[in-house]
Amino acid sequence: MYSWIWRHLPGPLYLRIVEAVVLVAGIVALLMFVVFPWAEPKLPFNNVTTQ
Amino acid sequence: MVIAPVEDDYDDDYYDEDDDYYDDEDEAKPAPPPESLARKAVRGVGEGLITMGLVVLLFVVYEVYVTDLLSAEKQQDATAALDSEWSSNVVTPPPADPNRKAKLELVEGKAFAKMYIPVFGNDWKFSVVEGTTDKHLEIGPGHYKDTAQPGEPGNFSIAGHRVGKGAPFNDLDLLQSCNAIVVQTQTQWFVYRVLPMRSEVAGWASNARSKEPSCAGVAPLSTTLGEAYAKTVGQEIVVPTQGEVIAPIPHQVNATVPPEKQARLLTLTTCHPRFSDKQRLIVHAIETKSYPVADGFVPPEMTEG
Repeated sequence: MYSWIWRHLPGPLYLRIVEAVVLVAGIVALLMFVVFPWAEPKLPFNNVTTQ
Repeated sequence: MVIAPVEDDYDDDYYDEDDDYYDDEDEAKPAPPPESLARKAVRGVGEGLITMGLVVLLFVVYEVYVTDLLSAEKQQDATAALDSEWSSNVVTPPPADPNRKAKLELVEGKAFAKMYIPVFGNDWKFSVVEGTTDKHLEIGPGHYKDTAQPGEPGNFSIAGHRVGKGAPFNDLDLLQSCNAIVVQTQTQWFVYRVLPMRSEVAGWASNARSKEPSCAGVAPLSTTLGEAYAKTVGQEIVVPTQGEVIAPIPHQVNATVPPEKQARLLTLTTCHPRFSDKQRLIVHAIETKSYPVADGFVPPEMTEG
């Protein structure tokens, strides 16, 4: 998977490194701001109230 | 003149051997085998597992650190809104009996009081919002709707996160009997003190701690207010379904005690053990003092700890 992505990144080496960093940052941001906030209330870690 | 040539030979041999050694290594390197489907599949699965591991680690970082940052901003906004409301409102002077006052107008999701726990340091302060849904608790500690207001007879109950989201109640388990929890509204300060722990109830009168000035007004409720309060102690750990801990008289849901006979309690709830929602950690405290808010006045209890 990772080598496949690397092979398909266009441009010379330095450009590929930049592209890879941007890709990773984008995925981390997607997780942090969209996926995790959505998933968090569904997980049994942080309920603090009594019913 | 026999030895010198031998030495030369030896050196030459040594270096020759060395070169050979590296030559051999290069020649012995196996050519990469052709990429078979199985090989690709195994690698794909392996990379997938590593990726999932990284995502889980990232989630821990999110839960423990990133939510703190997001909540800090919301808490700041709520505090700023509260401050501007307090400074713009016309303050009617508090009535003669400081505990008999007009009800606060509580709006869900809006902060209405500030809370301080001096033993946690003077940087421990949170604005308490109305409501206990996830949205509300992201902002800060949340007041259970329909429980008493600060200073009212009954049970002023607050829930707060223990991990992430600012973790206001992270150290709730460290509170000891008589520790002060100070609540400030627009017009008044209320000083609550943690009740004696279950293990301290029996020997409270002879306990040296009960003679300390901070324990003035603190005694096991069963001795001062009767059996109805026998289960109300400083700290307890309950299961999440035990909503009776925030009843006006904790654990006495069906009790019909007129409000004027009810103690003025404060109850804090959070998750327990840390990182789990299996149980709830509950801290009960009783109001021992109140002061009207005045310019430049800070209750002496605020410097305790």
